[in-house]
Amino acid sequence: MASPISVTVRLFASLREAAGASRMTLSVPHATPVGALWSHLPEGISAGEPPAALRYALNHEWTLPGAPLRDGDEVAFVLPVSGG
Amino acid sequence: MTGLTADPLDLAALIAAVSDPENGGLTSFLGCIRREDAIRPVIAIEYEAYEELTETELAAVAAEATSRFGAHVACMHRSGRVEVGEPSVAVAVSAPHRSAAFAACRYVIDELKVRAPIWKRMHYADGATEWIDGRDRVADRRPA
Repeated sequence: MASPISVTVRLFASLREAAGASRMTLSVPHATPVGALWSHLPEGISAGEPPAALRYALNHEWTLPGAPLRDGDEVAFVLPVSGG
Repeated sequence: MTGLTADPLDLAALIAAVSDPENGGLTSFLGCIRREDAIRPVIAIEYEAYEELTETELAAVAAEATSRFGAHVACMHRSGRVEVGEPSVAVAVSAPHRSAAFAACRYVIDELKVRAPIWKRMHYADGATEWIDGRDRVADRRPA
């Protein structure tokens, strides 16, 4: 079995506040899908399902929940946006 | 010229960036902080961006407008706190003729609103604050 990988998670807005950090490092199994990262967040944040309409960016590009993660990847949880 | 800035928006600089003697139509748009007195008075909005992807998206939207409408595009969005009445986003475009200029400007602001990963935190006159990011209480959520 492959050893765990280390990925960085970026958090924004109310997620960042709930976590008390704008980024955190998680250790997860090799090839964990992006969409499964949510369940690896600290319990206070990950309780329940991911927010509706949550999107993901992998290394600063949009990606889909099924994308497999590699060591050193950076994933951003992108909540419904409200700029402008 | 596209991107995020923590400084007050400088529309004159955006207009200068798109000015071109070949382009006879030049238009601009400013999106400003609404007070919304009749709903729940707002005193300011604080913007937080996923900076890397916002820069990518703003540049992509501008490039698309250039490709579709033959327009020169400049677009800047504020980060940090913006007071009521002040602009949070500025777009300037020029094109050979007015119809393309208006269409390009509309395209840029409409695409930016849905694609740029930027979130706002409302600061209300009653002292409350609220993130508009889909996680807050449904009762307080309104369309952007």
